[in-house]
Amino acid sequence: MSLCLFCDQPFTGDLDMRRLLLPGKSKTSCLCPSCRQQFAQIGPAFCPQCGRQQDSGEICQDCQKWRRIYQGNFLHNQAVYCYNQAFHDLMVRYKRYGDYLLCQVLQELAAPAVQKLAADYYVPVPTSPEHRKKRGYDTVWEIFTPLLPLTPLLAKKAGAGAQGEKGKKARMQAKQNFFLNPEFRGTITGKIILLDDIYTTGRTLYHARDAIETAFPKCQVESFSISR
Amino acid sequence: MTEEKESLTGRQWLVDKVDNSIKEGQTTIPAIENGICQRCGSSCWARLPSGFLYCRACVGLGRLDEGKLLVRQTAGSHYPARAGMTWTGQLQERQEGVSRFLLEKFAAKEDCLVEAVTGAGKTEMIFPLLAEAFSRGCRVAIATPRIDVVNELYPRLVAAFGEVEIGKYHGREEKEAANEQLVICTTHQLLKYYQAFDLLIIDEIDSFPYAGNPQLHFAAGNAVKKTGSRVFLTATPPEDLLKAARQGKLAIVRLNRRFHGYTLPVPRLDLYVKPFLTKGRLHPKLARRIKMAAKSGHPLLVFLPRIAQMPQYFAAVKRLLPDLRLATVYAQDPDRLEKVEKFRKGDLDLLLTTTILERGVTFKHVWVIIVAADDEIYSAASLVQIAGRVGRDKQDPDGLVLFGYRRYSRQIRSAVKQIKEMNRV
Repeated sequence: MSLCLFCDQPFTGDLDMRRLLLPGKSKTSCLCPSCRQQFAQIGPAFCPQCGRQQDSGEICQDCQKWRRIYQGNFLHNQAVYCYNQAFHDLMVRYKRYGDYLLCQVLQELAAPAVQKLAADYYVPVPTSPEHRKKRGYDTVWEIFTPLLPLTPLLAKKAGAGAQGEKGKKARMQAKQNFFLNPEFRGTITGKIILLDDIYTTGRTLYHARDAIETAFPKCQVESFSISR
Repeated sequence: MTEEKESLTGRQWLVDKVDNSIKEGQTTIPAIENGICQRCGSSCWARLPSGFLYCRACVGLGRLDEGKLLVRQTAGSHYPARAGMTWTGQLQERQEGVSRFLLEKFAAKEDCLVEAVTGAGKTEMIFPLLAEAFSRGCRVAIATPRIDVVNELYPRLVAAFGEVEIGKYHGREEKEAANEQLVICTTHQLLKYYQAFDLLIIDEIDSFPYAGNPQLHFAAGNAVKKTGSRVFLTATPPEDLLKAARQGKLAIVRLNRRFHGYTLPVPRLDLYVKPFLTKGRLHPKLARRIKMAAKSGHPLLVFLPRIAQMPQYFAAVKRLLPDLRLATVYAQDPDRLEKVEKFRKGDLDLLLTTTILERGVTFKHVWVIIVAADDEIYSAASLVQIAGRVGRDKQDPDGLVLFGYRRYSRQIRSAVKQIKEMNRV
């Protein structure tokens, strides 16, 4: 018997052969089956550039716009879950209310896809210093840190305001707020995967990529977001 | 949550330790003591990366961390000592009896439980009690688990107590907190008060989310002054309160007849062998029932057990009766309050709803149909409450209550039995 971290109801996990034969080896879930069901995986068809769920496998309107803005130098993003009501509620509780423990739910949702990622460096999108101080943790860092070796390559300027509190237009007009972490020394080559919780307009991840590409032009940058 | 609350009497709020601008009339305590959240009473076990505990149970009110302080503003006593009642109605004899009982218990500072059938006129019965409390300069709160009940009570009390300052608070009400003498709010809002009220009335005490929620019970104990008392109202009291009453720990008063003197409408049971909805079409018998009810000119509430099914039922009813003005409503519906208001005003003929409208609401001349009354979501209390929406008007004391079911459940049997028993007394 365990308690679901999302709905606080007790539940019994599925019994399978592996758990019977290797007790202690398999981790118990922190989500009950009925909550887990509410999170919808993206597929079968999605935009090959940003990972958005859609009816066809064509490049979506927003991504065509990014191609125009960046003259073809687009960012490839991989996403796992649709941004539905359940995911929205989860993010409100994790980010706005500051219910830190829910990072375990996000880890469980992201883990299977994250384990398949292959890159030389994994760079989380940073939280602004004031949000970090208010919550007591860095939202993206805390999700990915047990799953991957992270490189804190970027930092965010103070006083930028949260993207989540803006409308679409204001998000798109947001200025570059990322800069190279001054504590980071040395140079970097190879493949980098940027990590974020949600891809909404793409503005944040494009800015993060721009900051890395300016500093290390030889890098190849892609991104991963748990939700799109 | 950063509110400027120096003048908010009987309230409690969080501050960081560094902020020590504590004013006169305020006390501070550590937000978490011995692992227990001092706002909601939960035991805290989740930790932040810093190692400090925080409370997950009441995190929606602003995260309460170990190391923070809870500031409590002492309750004020500056309310005008006058009844303030503008209600001129007359209580009926049975209601009068309950009302006198409540006045006695209030004078003796005793808690009490009122078990009164749906449509007994519970709200009116507490008017003399409120007038008595106000005339002593007391501060009063009426709390209920349901937002819809708050919205229904507020205008009635504004009309009945024209000379009293009244505040309405719930999670969907964007309102700055103030120091009204009468507060009407959801039970969640009580978490923001500390020893604020001389009298706390909790309506629909047995309903979700108050029932079985230890945080809200803790809040209901904290919000009332040490010298104050509480009144619990319901048609279907929970077992723990009945037990307390049997043991003599809680005063209890019963009222088994509606204010207009007529009996409760007895549900009509309707057995279905095939599913209620197949391939987007209603079961022909259910379709006939809905059509008949709609043609009668009565507004109709159709209760459905699952939100996910609502669009299918909506489409099916629309197909059946294209001219009918209908809508669906459920707890997270952003237009929920507007739709209920439209239905109340007669701008909608049929409302497909979940249990959010099972209790505490009055719609004139309404009839109800429960689709899948055997669903596990309906307790016997829910079924009694839903049936109790019908026939509340003096001019129209009867009406259709239809329980559609495929399996005769214990809950259905118990609900019908309870209703018949209450009618017998």
